[in-house]
Amino acid sequence: MAEPIVLMGLFNEVDPAADALDELRALGISDDEITVISGVPYSHHALGRPKPWERLPFFSLAGALVGFGVGIFFNVGTPLLYSIRVGGQPLVPIPPSAVITYEFTMMGLIIATFLGVLWQSGFPTYSPKHYDPEIAMGRIGIFFRCPPAKEEQARAVLARCGAEKIQRAERRPL
Amino acid sequence: MSVQTESLTLVEAEHRRKLLLDPIPVEEMNRTILRAMTTTGRGYWITVAILALLVLIGLGGAWVYQMIWGMGVAGIRRPVFWGVYIANFVFWIGISHSGTFVSAILRVFKAEFRRPITRASEMMTTFALITAGMYPLIHLGRTWRFYWMIPYPNQRQLWPNFHSPLMWDMMAIFTYLIGSTLYLYLPLIPDLAMARDHCVRGWRRKLYRILALGWRGTEGQWSHLQTAITIFAFVIIPVMFSVHTIVSWDFGMTMVPGWSSSIFGPYFVTGAIFSGVSAVATVLLIVRKTMHLDYFLREEHFDALGKLILVFSFAWTYFFFADYLTEWYGGEAVGHQILTLQARGPVAPLWYTMLATNILIPWLTLWNKKVRTSPTALLLVTLGVNVGMYIERYIIVAGFLTRNRMPFDWGAYNPSPVELLISIGSLSLFVLLYALVSRLIPLVPVWEVHEGQIAHTLRRIGRTLVPSVAEME
Repeated sequence: MAEPIVLMGLFNEVDPAADALDELRALGISDDEITVISGVPYSHHALGRPKPWERLPFFSLAGALVGFGVGIFFNVGTPLLYSIRVGGQPLVPIPPSAVITYEFTMMGLIIATFLGVLWQSGFPTYSPKHYDPEIAMGRIGIFFRCPPAKEEQARAVLARCGAEKIQRAERRPL
Repeated sequence: MSVQTESLTLVEAEHRRKLLLDPIPVEEMNRTILRAMTTTGRGYWITVAILALLVLIGLGGAWVYQMIWGMGVAGIRRPVFWGVYIANFVFWIGISHSGTFVSAILRVFKAEFRRPITRASEMMTTFALITAGMYPLIHLGRTWRFYWMIPYPNQRQLWPNFHSPLMWDMMAIFTYLIGSTLYLYLPLIPDLAMARDHCVRGWRRKLYRILALGWRGTEGQWSHLQTAITIFAFVIIPVMFSVHTIVSWDFGMTMVPGWSSSIFGPYFVTGAIFSGVSAVATVLLIVRKTMHLDYFLREEHFDALGKLILVFSFAWTYFFFADYLTEWYGGEAVGHQILTLQARGPVAPLWYTMLATNILIPWLTLWNKKVRTSPTALLLVTLGVNVGMYIERYIIVAGFLTRNRMPFDWGAYNPSPVELLISIGSLSLFVLLYALVSRLIPLVPVWEVHEGQIAHTLRRIGRTLVPSVAEME
């Protein structure tokens, strides 16, 4: 069986791009085979695409929990490791402990959210990828894998929907 | 042309003066931003050279001199042990509230006018925090002993005291610095990729390639980025509140007359936002003029910022008066002395200047749209607000300490040349960092502006045209 090829269609507007996606699906190209790349974020509703799976909130939550634990350790653990009683004050006073615990919780959440974006997006990555610099000029790129036998039909779909540029996608260094 | 059509054309022309209803091709927007970044005239380099020299004198010279000779070269002495350094610290922390307020809070509330001004204000946050963060080190005197604050045990297995407000300060500033820097960086990634795609070769291409992390703009990448920006926006707001509240607790937790006040938290936060938003307006006015960003930064943005400044002037006045009246009505002798110090004492000229620049001038001018949209007038008002806010911090820190419960221990405070040089050096550092980085990264988030332009349309309702916004998310 012949290796699938990757085609690219560049669109100026979102409506024809959404039409092209519908027609490509009708041609038998599944959503898994398609990647839409754009210079601005379009919702999956606008493009009629499945909702991307988003695990970032779990990263944030995990980071917050780790930060909370670190905060508790500093506030509760460290005074117990080396006890110094001053002026009859409690060793672990709750109100002042809340401040540092809060700051560490937030710090954990912030760092984990950032790392989550890097992890989920696969950043940093500098190896050649399917891309076209014209996307940065406001175009919408539809990249999809299709069997060579369907190439002509797919090109016709893109042309009919008003793609400005249709070609086999190139991997470019980013 | 009928009267009705003519009227509609006029209405449309009026609406098209707004950025989000006046789209141009994205390519042109990109080029405008890139041109602003790469065009540097002689004036720019002369400014950079002067700023670098001032940084060298202030931080490389005066600060090092203080480290060698000790804190005796500063003007602080009994009974005033917190002087200009701490006033500067509080002031710069206040300025750092600009980015978070303008970017995060307006993003959460979907205020559309924020789009072109978010990055310029987020940059202010980061650089103001760097500047503020230097002051505890400067004030420390023996700066090299800073590592005592880092959370690890010493040889005797003794840890730092995490229940001390000074430790809260360090952790809050550190959290805010990390948060605001990442919050600046994340929405920048698509614009860095844009810059990468436009720069064919050279050091800029290498720099943008590294910083863009391999961004392409796939659906997944956008989804992760937008989710992260939303999480950051919600998280950084309480962190922002905590930072200046904790700074205020450095004062409020003491038994010093004039400082021990439960209202200091919200009072400081409101003052911080007041000075921060004013500083944003000042910087944007300068940036628009020097970087030729008239297309992105329009009257509507300064009009909106002017309204915000007026609102925060009201809020600041409310807290100021609540604090003042409580002290006045309390009738404690030392409290009365502090009020007399302000009204008729050595700091009276400063105090009245503060009242004029923070209350009188904004109230008399900013209700007027002509003032809000006049670059010169707004520049003067916003500069005045920051002069006033600096004076407020100076009086609270150095002024109040000259009066205490033991009159034999009253004193005066005059900043020394070393303190003044370090202050000028740090201000120059802030401006220098801003000037340099504004030529390295896109100062306007092009993708956010483009997104806003896609979402905005003029819709005909009855006999007129009204702007309408689509929910893109």
